[in-house]
Amino acid sequence: MAELLVMKDISKSFYGVSALKRVNFDLEKGEVHVLLGENGAGKSTLIKILSGAYRPDSGFIEFEGKSIDVYRLNPRAAEDLGIATIYQNFHLIPHLTVAENLMLPQFVRKGGMLINWKEVNLTAKRILDELEFDIALDAKVKDLSVSKKQMLEIAIALSKNAKILIMDEPTAALSQKEIELLFSIVGYIKERGIGIIFISHKIEEIKRIGDRVTVLRDGSSIATVNPKEVSADELISIMIGKTMSTRRTRLSVGVGKPVLSVRGLQNENFPEPISLEVREHEILGIAGVVGSGKTELARALFGIDPTDTAEISFNGKQTSIKSPRSAVTLGIGYLPEDRDVDGLCLNMSVKENMTLANLAQLRSISYNRVQETQSVQTMVNEIAVKTPSLGQQVKYLSGGNKQKVILGKWLLADCRLLLLDEPTIGIDVGARNEIYGLIRKFVMKPGCAVVFISSDIDEILEVSARILVMSQRTVVAELDPEKSSKNEILQYSLGVKRKQHEYE
Amino acid sequence: MNMNEKKNLPSDKAAREKPKRFLRRAMQNQAFSMFLILILMWIVLAFLSPYFFTVSNIFEITLQTAVIAIIAAGETFIMLEGGIDLSVGSIFACSAVLGGLVFQATQNLFLTIAVTLVAGLVFGLANGLLITGLKVPPFIATLGMMGIARGFALIFSRGIPIFGLPATYMWIGQGKLFNVIPIPTLIMLLVFILAYLVLTYTRFGRFVYAIGSNNEAARLSGIKVSQITIGVYAICGLLCGIASTIEAGRLGTVQPAGGNGYELLSIGAVVIGGTSTFGGEGSIIATLIGAVIVTTIRNGLNIIGVNAFWQQVVNGMIIIGAVAIDQIRRRK
Repeated sequence: MAELLVMKDISKSFYGVSALKRVNFDLEKGEVHVLLGENGAGKSTLIKILSGAYRPDSGFIEFEGKSIDVYRLNPRAAEDLGIATIYQNFHLIPHLTVAENLMLPQFVRKGGMLINWKEVNLTAKRILDELEFDIALDAKVKDLSVSKKQMLEIAIALSKNAKILIMDEPTAALSQKEIELLFSIVGYIKERGIGIIFISHKIEEIKRIGDRVTVLRDGSSIATVNPKEVSADELISIMIGKTMSTRRTRLSVGVGKPVLSVRGLQNENFPEPISLEVREHEILGIAGVVGSGKTELARALFGIDPTDTAEISFNGKQTSIKSPRSAVTLGIGYLPEDRDVDGLCLNMSVKENMTLANLAQLRSISYNRVQETQSVQTMVNEIAVKTPSLGQQVKYLSGGNKQKVILGKWLLADCRLLLLDEPTIGIDVGARNEIYGLIRKFVMKPGCAVVFISSDIDEILEVSARILVMSQRTVVAELDPEKSSKNEILQYSLGVKRKQHEYE
Repeated sequence: MNMNEKKNLPSDKAAREKPKRFLRRAMQNQAFSMFLILILMWIVLAFLSPYFFTVSNIFEITLQTAVIAIIAAGETFIMLEGGIDLSVGSIFACSAVLGGLVFQATQNLFLTIAVTLVAGLVFGLANGLLITGLKVPPFIATLGMMGIARGFALIFSRGIPIFGLPATYMWIGQGKLFNVIPIPTLIMLLVFILAYLVLTYTRFGRFVYAIGSNNEAARLSGIKVSQITIGVYAICGLLCGIASTIEAGRLGTVQPAGGNGYELLSIGAVVIGGTSTFGGEGSIIATLIGAVIVTTIRNGLNIIGVNAFWQQVVNGMIIIGAVAIDQIRRRK
């Protein structure tokens, strides 16, 4: 078969941390080549290099037998070559119609002042008919289903004569029926000689649709295999590597009485009711891939997203959590996934950020400023926040120190339960261990517990006393980290293995 | 080698830049640089017109400043919180008209002032409730209120100015304490001291900054964002009532068309003072300097003999200029 694309020895590092190490990847005409790897394995970096968003540090790219100057590749140039990406979050204009979106690239290219609407509609109809896509031309894009939007994006890419189609988790938000439809479209695209790079976490799906699979691990291309010839277990073990040493430092204190127990939590994110319990001195790990509902669970528990029915008891007392304020009043603290967007007042000082939750709980008009400074100073020393002064604006701190400021905020507010959503994301190893230390120290205090959410399975195994695995917006397994393995957790979270959630 | 070089860099840099630091910090502090500009303006105006530095003109400036500055103080609360209030000029007029009508009916001075202040407060509360309850964006809610309050001011007064306010009322606008300090100036200083204390020493003040800095982070820290939001609009409304009491006393009449363009002047004073248009950053003291600059320009243009229509053009350009300069500086 004809080689459509060859990527050779691609390396890329960010701020001295290498994301890709001499990765090799190639694609033939009419082939579906799957990229498989954990979060942070380098899949999206590789894709972004191919689509011109990132510049590699070194490496070669050959496209249709001609070598490309990788240092000059930019998104526009990649598009002109015929490399198109179908993103998870669609690059469509919601308030325009299907026909308008379809023809937008032509508007941009042709220039001119007037639009020949008759011609636009005719051409758009021809494109969709040729693909046998059943989408109404005059429908507004915002009213389309996820599946239809995806089809429209594919149609746009094909109308621009794409030769390579990159699909980043295209089935993540689709129903089973829609997935079947997508697969038949993929089959049709293959017949036209277009190469497809397919990123997915779902092993079964990969085995069905993939012609080849390249596995990335820690920025290296580990192996390229035919998915039909290897088992799901084999694929997973290639993905995570055989040599696994989980260094665990267990807590010396056993778990006590329940701090938070929730029964039948349901809302628009959770069609099936969810129940869970966290006990004193316990770090409850919640594992799952992106989109499994981990963040939504934390948001529901903290009262950010409204919940329909849930029996909640906190410290043995029946209660309800209707707003973040009521959660804070109960003694719950929340460390959001995106600390800059939801967690910090970036242009305020370390001191002001750290006392925010505490001040929100007071009833007086004023507050003791001397005491405020003293308690913040004590906390900053205790949790070792590296800041030139308490008056330093938080935006100038590093990721790890920003995270410590938020932790410090909840510690000062004297909360009992911490909901931590990806607390170590984007944080270097040293600061990461310090944060683990702080969490362990917190959970040792009487009456305290932690819910630890992470997509990093190693981390979950290392930190948790008990693990819940989430997949498809429900809890699919409850595991003991001592008896479980990364492999097992991955199987549950990728939907390969499924068992009833046993709870009491 | 490389690593070592990198490590040394920050401290070297700090050592080299130490002498420059004071100057740079002064330049970065908009309040300070605006203060310098104000002094420069006074010097230039003093050369342009011998009348500028006369005692009566200086008092004129402080008097004119008082009304705008008090409204701008309210606007500062709102802009720090991340909102904006376009209705200040109309609230100003309508609350004065309501007070004036009460005076015509009752001749009771105390009641007149009380009604003026309460009317301002109620308009402000209405703004806050529209924004928090109905989730109308501040720009639209207060734009609507700008029309509503102005309309009511004209309806209640039938478009006719209210005359015949007694000498005791006029004292608020024209009187002087110990025959030296004009009463409006005194009220203005009181308002700013209070506003400063509230913003610096109360939980409310801290929350105003926090919400302006990051609304979501504030909410997730357990702050009652709606309450604080209603609070800042109510404060601004009340301050509009105070400002209109002073203006009525100064002019001896209540003008239903009064306060026209005051939103431009007060927002101008706030942004010239360097309060971020995105909220969360700024200071009330800087607003005071901003208000003095705005009135100095108005006064200066009057003295040089620039016609009133041009003054509006200049005011608009100053607001755009102040925010543009702020944006350029932030980008660095």
